[in-house]
Amino acid sequence: MATVTNWIDHLNKPAEEVVGAVYPGAGSTEGLLVILAIVLWVGWHVLTGRSESQELDRLSKKRHSANDYKSNITDW
Amino acid sequence: MTDQLAALTTIFTEFYYWVTVVLMFLIHVGFCMYEVGASRYKHHQHTLMKNTMLIPLVTVTWFLFGWWIYWAFPTGPGLAPSIMNESSALITDDSAFSATWYTATSDLMAVNLGDHISGVFWAAFLLFSWTAASIVSGAIIERITTFAFGILAIAIGSVFWVIDAAWGWHFDGWMLKLLGYHDAYASGVIHAIAGGFALGVLMVLGPRIGKFSSSGEPRNIGPRNPWLVTIGLFLIYTGFWGFYAACNIPIFDLGPEYGMEGISYWTATNIYVTPTTLSGITFNFLMSLSGGLLAGYWIAKGDPFWTYSSGLAGIICASAGNDLYHPIQAMIIGMIGVVISYKLHYWVERKFKIDDAVGAVAVHGYAGFIGLVICGFVLNGYPSSGYSVGAMWDGTTYATINPLGQFIGALIMFVVLGLIPGYIIAKVLHGMGKLRIPREAEIAGLDYEIMEAAKDDEKAVASATR
Repeated sequence: MATVTNWIDHLNKPAEEVVGAVYPGAGSTEGLLVILAIVLWVGWHVLTGRSESQELDRLSKKRHSANDYKSNITDW
Repeated sequence: MTDQLAALTTIFTEFYYWVTVVLMFLIHVGFCMYEVGASRYKHHQHTLMKNTMLIPLVTVTWFLFGWWIYWAFPTGPGLAPSIMNESSALITDDSAFSATWYTATSDLMAVNLGDHISGVFWAAFLLFSWTAASIVSGAIIERITTFAFGILAIAIGSVFWVIDAAWGWHFDGWMLKLLGYHDAYASGVIHAIAGGFALGVLMVLGPRIGKFSSSGEPRNIGPRNPWLVTIGLFLIYTGFWGFYAACNIPIFDLGPEYGMEGISYWTATNIYVTPTTLSGITFNFLMSLSGGLLAGYWIAKGDPFWTYSSGLAGIICASAGNDLYHPIQAMIIGMIGVVISYKLHYWVERKFKIDDAVGAVAVHGYAGFIGLVICGFVLNGYPSSGYSVGAMWDGTTYATINPLGQFIGALIMFVVLGLIPGYIIAKVLHGMGKLRIPREAEIAGLDYEIMEAAKDDEKAVASATR
């Protein structure tokens, strides 16, 4: 994966070869990384959206009054 | 970078934008504090988390496609040809400022020894995106689902404001060429669009329970923690300095850029690459802030919430032309914007039953809109771009700044790219049953379960220490 294995050798190259990407997997993994990011991003929305709906359903069923939360205020 | 002057310019510019990003982070800190201070106790944590989570949501989408939109859309597409390739299509060719370099798979969107600027410039614009989404966030607290807000934040932060930035903020934007649009520090590009978007969402979302009496009279739900609101707004002022700095190019040689042979003129420029000075905009930033505070204190009869917000509205109103105004012009424009925005806020609230919890539509939307219109009169006749005198635009010049162009530009920002998309997306989310939290949850408080768990923890610890 390493794009550069020796900085002295790398910087001794002609200028047009020195400039360029130096991250691991440069030139071969970008597409895969973007797909991975999209999957994680969509997955996050699905998981948190489901979790929020469950929380709101639970809360709705209990039918608390507007001031019930005051009995839950902590003293610490 | 083998040329020493080029290296110095590049490294200085890289560092300059990097510092602006750090400063602008304070805007988001300020918005978080402000919103929590404005919300009621039983909604605090959800209010905070909603605004916090826009950071990753907008950042990831900004990386995936937002930044690409900025570089691809200056031509409309189809509305005016680019000065770089003379085509009206999306700019995706191999020209110097093409979107093709800013796809998520581009090797310039990472550590690249041949590019010292893209990442910090990307981040500066990203912080503008957070601000746009954060403006919307405050207006809709205490009754929107976090899921819906996430979708809306992505829409305004990574799509719609970026389109308007490409159209009206990019040196190659069609609105500069056809309308003479000028908006140096984003009265419209950030504020009017975000305010309009928030209004569109509020029209569908509806007011908080209890905001209006059965006869339709609005009730005041004031900030629970005015001191947190105060600190939040001071932080937003502070971050706004970074925003102003980020809207400039700090050091640039305009002679060769404008095609003037043998002329070298180094200066700071605004985002349109026309000359201004950090000195001048510092005068104007502080004088417009002062004008806003003075007018707000007067019109709101010393109410701290509105006085602080008015300082912000004063800057926002003058921002369109703060690269060129005289400081006293900036102050007066800030005052005018505040008075009109304040009056409009309460008129819209009563007339249309719009519950804007923090006055975001007024402070950002109305003040931004008014600022654009005033700018058209005060700066009437100034060139909208330095490129109008060069040969890059195929012999045709850019329109000069003018009142009609600014008014149309304000409508595009507030209505076309703000209010209408906000309304439509909110309608879709409402249709899916995902927009608003259930009535019972709103009454109980979004934090009810968290508070209940904390109380149980407290009891458990207390019983263990007996």
